[in-house]
Amino acid sequence: MKNRPLLAAAAALCAVSFGLTACGGGDDPANASGEDKAAAGPVTLNYTWWGSQDRADRMTKAIAEFEAAHPDIKIKPNFTDYEGYWQKRATEAAGGGLPDVMQFDFSYLRQYADRGALLDLKEVEDGVDLSGIDDSLLPAGEIDGGTYGVPIGTNALAMYYNPDLVTQLGVEPPKEGLTWDEYNAWIKEASAKGGGNVWGAGDYTGVLWLFDMKLRQEGKKLLDEDGKLAIEKSDLKEWLASTDELRQSGAIVPADRITQISPMSAMGAKLTATEMSWDNFLAGYLKDSGAAKIEMLAPPTTDGEKGLFVKPSMLYAIGANTEHPEAAAEFVDFMTNDPEVGEIFGTSRGVPASKAQRDAVAAEGPDAQVLEYEKAIAEDLDESPAPLPAGFGTLEKELLRLSEEINYGRMSVDQAVEEWFTEAEAALEQ
Amino acid sequence: MSTATSTATAAPLTDQRRPTPPAPRRQDGARARSLMVHALSLVILAVVLYPLLWMVMSSLKPTNQIIGDPSLLPTEASLDNYRTALAGIGGISAWTFARNSLFLAVVSVIGTVLSSAVTAYAFARIEFAGRKLWFALMIGTLLLPFHVLIIPQYIVFNKLGLINTFVPLLIGKFLAAEAFFIFLMVQFMRNLPRELDEAARIDGCGHVRIFISIMLPLMRPAIITTSIFAFIWSWNDFLGPLLYLNDPEKYPLPLALRLFVDQTSVSDYGAMIAMSVLALVPVMLFFFLFQRYLVDGVATQGLKG
Amino acid sequence: MSTLQAQPLRAEASAPAPVDYRRARRAETRSGYFFLAPWLIGFLLLTAGPMLASLYLAFTDYNLFRDPKWIGLENFEKLFNDSRYLQSVKVTLIYVLVGTPVKLAAALAVALLLNSGRKAQGFYRSAFYAPSLIGASVSIAIVWKALFSDGGIVDLGMTGMGFQPGGWVGDPDKTMPMMILLATWQFGAPMVIFLAGLKQVPRELYEAASVDGAGALRRFWSITVPMLSPVIFFNLLLETINAFQVFASAFIISGGAGGPAGSTLFYTLYLYIRGFGDARMGYASAMAWVLAVVIGLITWVMFRTSKGWVHYSGETK
Repeated sequence: MKNRPLLAAAAALCAVSFGLTACGGGDDPANASGEDKAAAGPVTLNYTWWGSQDRADRMTKAIAEFEAAHPDIKIKPNFTDYEGYWQKRATEAAGGGLPDVMQFDFSYLRQYADRGALLDLKEVEDGVDLSGIDDSLLPAGEIDGGTYGVPIGTNALAMYYNPDLVTQLGVEPPKEGLTWDEYNAWIKEASAKGGGNVWGAGDYTGVLWLFDMKLRQEGKKLLDEDGKLAIEKSDLKEWLASTDELRQSGAIVPADRITQISPMSAMGAKLTATEMSWDNFLAGYLKDSGAAKIEMLAPPTTDGEKGLFVKPSMLYAIGANTEHPEAAAEFVDFMTNDPEVGEIFGTSRGVPASKAQRDAVAAEGPDAQVLEYEKAIAEDLDESPAPLPAGFGTLEKELLRLSEEINYGRMSVDQAVEEWFTEAEAALEQ
Repeated sequence: MSTATSTATAAPLTDQRRPTPPAPRRQDGARARSLMVHALSLVILAVVLYPLLWMVMSSLKPTNQIIGDPSLLPTEASLDNYRTALAGIGGISAWTFARNSLFLAVVSVIGTVLSSAVTAYAFARIEFAGRKLWFALMIGTLLLPFHVLIIPQYIVFNKLGLINTFVPLLIGKFLAAEAFFIFLMVQFMRNLPRELDEAARIDGCGHVRIFISIMLPLMRPAIITTSIFAFIWSWNDFLGPLLYLNDPEKYPLPLALRLFVDQTSVSDYGAMIAMSVLALVPVMLFFFLFQRYLVDGVATQGLKG
Repeated sequence: MSTLQAQPLRAEASAPAPVDYRRARRAETRSGYFFLAPWLIGFLLLTAGPMLASLYLAFTDYNLFRDPKWIGLENFEKLFNDSRYLQSVKVTLIYVLVGTPVKLAAALAVALLLNSGRKAQGFYRSAFYAPSLIGASVSIAIVWKALFSDGGIVDLGMTGMGFQPGGWVGDPDKTMPMMILLATWQFGAPMVIFLAGLKQVPRELYEAASVDGAGALRRFWSITVPMLSPVIFFNLLLETINAFQVFASAFIISGGAGGPAGSTLFYTLYLYIRGFGDARMGYASAMAWVLAVVIGLITWVMFRTSKGWVHYSGETK
């Protein structure tokens, strides 16, 4: 409350000055734009997501479907890569100007909901039909009794390999159930044969969720029930140091190559024969790399423990500032439940959360492959992560950044561990 | 700063290129030297213009031939990239972005010229209490990094609900926030003969009359220089729109270009380059039409591009 | 700073009768403030007010969603333990301390070159100036990134000359040279100012020196540099302040993140990331004030030391 008077005074003076300029001439900038929007006509919704070109292509089709079914609503689409996405949303949220409808991530939902930036979907009458969504998934979008996100799919971690590249390298493909040491040895062998053009893998230790999986394999947890860090510095150090030898021997893709292909993944750019990430990435990998087929198997294990789990792949959220909550809910409902949208996306947004869309997924090609994979791992699943605390997104982002610093040789593992803990603790406190 | 003052006083805006008497030709060495100068200048010219040439040429090539192709000339030139670029992005046509840029630039010019001229008149022609103090403060803002201002300004505009409007981008122009232009106009006015307005004062004219009917018409060159720079600065501005505009429908060209970078840098490099070219067209047009005003403005006032 | 002050007006001499003097003065002051009003309002609301506000915020924890909380010097303490902040200081200082002299040296060299020729000087002057107009634009940042990426023309050229292949964009050791080259490419604006300054140097000085047998280098150091020193000082001041504020090109080239490995994490960019990306407005305000103080100090030092090396000829007061 301390600086309220100051701001209020400044605000009042500002308002006066606007009055002055408005008197000054007909060019008052205030009503130069934006006003024409209120004119009658179709409602326009701003809609934004992160993702690859593949997702953008599918989105275009889905939006066309929606607009055909709802001629009174027009969608203005917009997308970026994952990292830029959150920087942009943060700025918009600060100004109270989030897009009407957003693709959201589990890691960021609480942060935005806590700040009142998202609309409680319960407040929208005849809003989104959640009846088709698995009951176990719905809590992912609920925060303090409100529904701020609609989970639209689930995903699990997987290891991918590009069989063409593997053959070209002249190595055996990685095997199901291999240990981390075996995987690292495989990377080394593959990279040695790649001759500086193709590598076995990138440095996977920068991905927080893979670290989480590794912890689960060891019977540990990243966060405790209060959303605080539940690991020791030594845990992170061990994880980041596990690829030290690969880094030093040049067995993983050099950081500068990764930078230059960004926002594409190393696998999409055919720089690596394997990559570990979410199982809904298959479609994007296929599109980016142009490969005819990409295989999936379970990531490496520790003493036979897989540590795999299923989590919501993404959610839909509506900005609290939207002028058209009904239309926005209508759109979210369509994207979540419409079978044709389900068919368009297949498993590329994760295995669909709503039954109608799940049933619409074609039982062939890459989608069948993803369904098959989830079925294969289903028997031995760890529990799904509890709703993530505000600031979790920063934990992910910082680990990735510090990993880049390590790979550029700008930072030691010890420094990176120290810095990650400092940033993580500050972020979780916010 | 004082040099700007001195050069300006020595040579008002337009007569910068005083004819210098041709140096008497002395020996053959002079000719050889002149040839050397030309050759070197041409080399520098090539380096300076290369990026621009590359940009224009690349915009005519298909996407997959832009990077990794050392040749400047496209094997088969095509305007496809421009077609894609003009179609816009995210369902918004490139013309919308261009219109936003144009609107912002034109209103900026009007605001800047009016407010700077009025302020400059106060500093140059009216003897009022506190003038020296305010003038010193005005000059001080030239040296002030904008960083100190963006956060509180953002907070205030945010509280006023003006985020995602053009107001934060334009209000400063109507309040003479750019000290460079005031300075330029003050310098110019000081070089205008005082007898004119003194005569008018004796005839009983007030400052408003003198300003409007005597000063403004005489200030044409300074106003043109100010207008061109105000236009180009507004046209190229990136940080302001980045902070204040959320809705792509309101984006000016630099932000639209960033959308292109985010969304199509992998898939449609060519269209991105074509869009870059289009975004520079008005600036280059201004450059070709008004280069004398621009360059002389820089020479006399140290205005940055 | 003396020359920056408003010069006294000669108008008073012809002011009307002495009886009315006071009233006339008051009327003048009224008119003065009437004309000054737009600027004054802008100055108070858009400059002075925000400056004070951000000074206050620098001592608070503020994220726009909660009211600011007074935390004393904590932000400043954190700053100097924040390795990314220190990185941004380092990046910016290198850019300013290396980039500015390089750019000015290029500008001066080309100005001397053009000044020695007569024909077509106007053409070259204009052409060389063009990059200064567009250098800070997003378009040029995009082009620059392309020229310096893997397989771009710089990579091809360097590989052709026997250097190790690889684009500069992904190599943290080469992004700074790349950014400095981008700044240097815009040498036109200071060059034009140098040229204007060179025109003021009386030719007789050179002729006299030549007669005395001074070589070209000697003439440069003992005539050109001293005579040009006010212009050099002006350019140095202007370009230093500009260099501190580089933003759009770094933002576009690094995708807004200051990478790779923090090598393009310019001060402005980090301030943007902290203030607007993480909504840590208090922290970012502290950053802003540290910078303002540093720029203030640099300016002060430059003005102080300038007395020693900047020579004003008689006509400048």
